[in-house]
Amino acid sequence: MTATSLLEGEYLRAIIAAAIIGVVAPVVGTWIVLRRMANLGDTMSHGTLAGVGVAYAVGANVLLGALGAGVVIAVLLILFSASQRLGHEAIIAVMGSALFAVGIIVISRIDTTEELEHILFGDVLQLTWSQIVFNLVIGSIAVGVVLLLFSELRLASFDHVQAEQVGVHVELVQAVLVVLLAVVVVISLRTVGSVMSVSMLVTPAATARLVSPTLRRMTIVGVMLGVSEGVGGVALGNALDAPPGATIGLLAAVVFAVTYVATLPRRMPHHHRPLG
Amino acid sequence: MVQDVSPRSTVLEVIELGVNFGDAVILEDVSFAVGRGELIGVIGPNGAGKSTLFKAICGLVNHTGEVEVNGVHCHSRTDRMDIAYIPQRSDNDITFPITVGELVVAGRRRFHHWYARPSLHDRTEAVRLLALVDLAGMADRSLNQLSSGQLQRAYVARALAQEASVLMLDESLSGVDQPSTAELFVVFERLVDQGSTLLIATHDLALARRRFPRCLAINGRLLADGPPDAVLAPDVLDRTFGSAAPA
Repeated sequence: MTATSLLEGEYLRAIIAAAIIGVVAPVVGTWIVLRRMANLGDTMSHGTLAGVGVAYAVGANVLLGALGAGVVIAVLLILFSASQRLGHEAIIAVMGSALFAVGIIVISRIDTTEELEHILFGDVLQLTWSQIVFNLVIGSIAVGVVLLLFSELRLASFDHVQAEQVGVHVELVQAVLVVLLAVVVVISLRTVGSVMSVSMLVTPAATARLVSPTLRRMTIVGVMLGVSEGVGGVALGNALDAPPGATIGLLAAVVFAVTYVATLPRRMPHHHRPLG
Repeated sequence: MVQDVSPRSTVLEVIELGVNFGDAVILEDVSFAVGRGELIGVIGPNGAGKSTLFKAICGLVNHTGEVEVNGVHCHSRTDRMDIAYIPQRSDNDITFPITVGELVVAGRRRFHHWYARPSLHDRTEAVRLLALVDLAGMADRSLNQLSSGQLQRAYVARALAQEASVLMLDESLSGVDQPSTAELFVVFERLVDQGSTLLIATHDLALARRRFPRCLAINGRLLADGPPDAVLAPDVLDRTFGSAAPA
């Protein structure tokens, strides 16, 4: 593979698609990591399978089906969050497994086609320009919403009690974040696949968290990592003849592991905190 | 035993406040009034309802009874923005990537629409308030670079940025060493002199006796309200702490 051929045809489209998810996923993922909602990302990636399956079965747009499933998860999460007896984790796990089960049952009753397989495991090389434009548009909206809500997200994520006191609608902010999470999963579907989407959502942002003292820097570093790992994963997957989605996920995990080990000494408990 | 506060100076009035969680009665029939510029210690054992009382006053948990702030009956949470709740130290993740300056500016949110960015005035105000709590020059530090006492002072600065007239500090002195506690009280007394009202929940009875002109003893209900000599008398402590009453 030469540099020239990487910038032509399907590879150009793949690189652009990987760059889009590389920007959008860490921008949203920053908040998912900070709010310790990574398990919700997992639920969303599994839960959207139900939307994909149902949409496919009725001949509707599978991406809209996935987005619809994401919105359903957001609504259910808000409805069930009133339960003080159960934590969010339990509710999230039940919802994710239930929707995943629905997806499996629906898909088992239809002929599994290549397209459905691409959505599960991704195939960035099969993306069309119209799909890339779709990803670019909804990804730009997601990034715009995060930038608009940046202060509200910071307040609600750091100290929801004080945030409520000064007028932040904490539940609404949470709901918007869940919908944004669904958007990231939808953009990821044909790029890295629904199964691997959580890796782009969480891993670059988690890596950035290790090296960033401020939110702004965490977001910027997360985006730089996301784009590098996305584009690098496409090129590496091509060079190694490996699936691009899995290669992107593995590359992100390796970068995380190296960063984790390299920053271990300065994250020791005694490093920052003065006595007193 | 309930202390009178003249209506002229009353900033906070709690009337027959009660809180239930399911079938459990956490607080019942709590009534007291607080005047402008008071420094009040709220004592009681773990589980007595001190945090719940603060959260109920701030409208963060459902309650019966009434809360009035500056003579205005509070119907919603936004009616209570003149009260700031400063959480227990363990409630927030201090590794969160937020600087001390950003923390203080967060208090200004009540003066803006949700989409607005903090103004230059907000930032200038944050710098002024950090100086007021003896944290000048620390605006760019992360929270985990502060000592426990400094962290509490940063939260106080945020409450002041909110322009709250009543500050409720929930166990803020727990785990703070003696020199840092002394520094905090220098700040508290300065704020009281400027007209702020502070209610501070504490387990430390020696500190309450030494530092607070007025104390409230709580255990499910208000058991005593008055100067420390009266509230920390052996019979009141027996009723407040039961068999665990300090000698």
